Amino acid sequence: MTIATGFFTEYGAEILQSTREHMVLTLIAMLVACVIAIPLGIMLARCRLKLLVNIVMGMVNIIQPIPSLALIALTVVVFHTINELVGSRVIATLGTAPAIVALVAYAVLPILRNTYTGIRQVDSAVVEVATGMGMTRRQILFSVQLPLALPFIMAGVRISTVWTIGVATLVSLVGAGGLGDLIFRGLSNYRVNLILAGAVPAAVLALIFDWLLGRIERWLVPSDARQTQAP
Amino acid sequence: MIVFEQACKTYPGGAEAVRDLTLEISEGQTLVLLGTSGSGKTTTMKMVNRLIEPTAGRILIDGQDIMAQDPIDLRRRIGYAIQHIGLFPHMTVAENIAVVPKLLQWPRKRIEDRIDQLLNMVGLEPTAFANRYPSQLSGGQKQRVGVARALAADPPIVLMDEPFGALDPITREQLQNEFLELESVIRKTIIFVTHDVFEAVKMGDRVALLDAGRLQQLATPRELVENPANEFVDQFLGQHRFQLSLLTQTVRSIGTETVRPGSEPSPRPGVCLTFRTSLVEVLDLFKKTGQATLPIYERTTYVGELVKKDLLQVITKLLGEDGEPRETHDDNQNETGGAM
Repeated sequence: MTIATGFFTEYGAEILQSTREHMVLTLIAMLVACVIAIPLGIMLARCRLKLLVNIVMGMVNIIQPIPSLALIALTVVVFHTINELVGSRVIATLGTAPAIVALVAYAVLPILRNTYTGIRQVDSAVVEVATGMGMTRRQILFSVQLPLALPFIMAGVRISTVWTIGVATLVSLVGAGGLGDLIFRGLSNYRVNLILAGAVPAAVLALIFDWLLGRIERWLVPSDARQTQAP
Repeated sequence: MIVFEQACKTYPGGAEAVRDLTLEISEGQTLVLLGTSGSGKTTTMKMVNRLIEPTAGRILIDGQDIMAQDPIDLRRRIGYAIQHIGLFPHMTVAENIAVVPKLLQWPRKRIEDRIDQLLNMVGLEPTAFANRYPSQLSGGQKQRVGVARALAADPPIVLMDEPFGALDPITREQLQNEFLELESVIRKTIIFVTHDVFEAVKMGDRVALLDAGRLQQLATPRELVENPANEFVDQFLGQHRFQLSLLTQTVRSIGTETVRPGSEPSPRPGVCLTFRTSLVEVLDLFKKTGQATLPIYERTTYVGELVKKDLLQVITKLLGEDGEPRETHDDNQNETGGAM
């Protein structure tokens, strides 16, 4: 008990601070990723140029298999190169900027892919009925395709959020802070308490966000209101 | 009035879905487009609301070429009901029905009143059904909502693509009967697509039989059954000819000489015939009641009676007239009402 109390008086403030940084990083990255991926997914799903769709999806697919740590490191390299080319320090090569770019690049794919499939899986007969009833293309998108794709989009956002919380523990390596700070410090000094002080909140954050997004999804789309499989 | 003038639909690559189709549907009539899959019946129907556009020829509604009209406006003035998947799964029954009225920007109160009115009309209690999702409805209930939705903005024209297709025979017959009743009140110009010849004969004022994109015969159900225009029509009706003729012949059409004056029963019996009762139904009623005669009423007026023996004579004559002995088999009986 006294150990615990001692631990919290020593690290409590730091845990709170790191958790807050971690959440801010995650939320900013997720917000940017949604703003990019959802509209792009919609556009791709409605795009009639198959080739363009394949190129964009292919490009996004290339990012995914890159190990997250490597991606973060590569972002720093890219930022460094940009600075070299421009000849001045236009962007900070370390810190929050490269961290968020790397997190966004990683978070985009699941959302994009799920938005695309979500809209594509809407029964073409349903879209045809909507057309036959006199809806415009925009009305079909907003009142038929998007609501029916929502469970897919939400699933993408959920997967992305959980990943991002995980990957965000690594951005402490480029000086972006977050719970990774505690974990890496604990590892390098071999202090188990410190490792736990970083790892446990990160795990709890992931669980809470996953649960929260699941609730929001069920609230947005009641199970009876989903597209039933064709008989 | 809808007019097809040599309408064609040819797909790139040369496949002809519909070829040189000329026909007219007058106001308040039901035209059934009948044919096998690939006959062009659905394509024909979809050309009316421009879901598919004709590649040659013209289609006129009330004298105006539909290709000169805004497709969105055109579609909002035409009711549209299709088989099973038709309802929006993410909208409640009320929201589904409200789609077109909302597109037309009706005031909310008017939409709400219309939803209640329509649900009552198709036999669904508004308080129990308005807030259900399609997944919470039975097949028959879905189709009722589908019909209500097609009628929502009170369009003069309604397109129906196998609206009762995915139902069990009993529910289907019930819905067909209810729809006929409803239709006699609302008087819409209806284009009804089906592959079921019994449904066609039952629902249509006229039937257009299509094959490989060409119109084979356009006739009243009775003409179609009794005077097939060509070999194809004859084959299409196939072994169902005799049943179909019983279905298209009514108390009126077998001739007034068959109807005896009789004496008006008092009080009015629960089971009676009208001039419009088909011979199939008459036979059913004789079987059900076990009586030797049935009274005929026109609305509330007694007009005579039909004697079972007379009816049987007429039927024997029908059998003889139709000639071909293979059609006199009674092993077709079990198939009555079944799909083609």
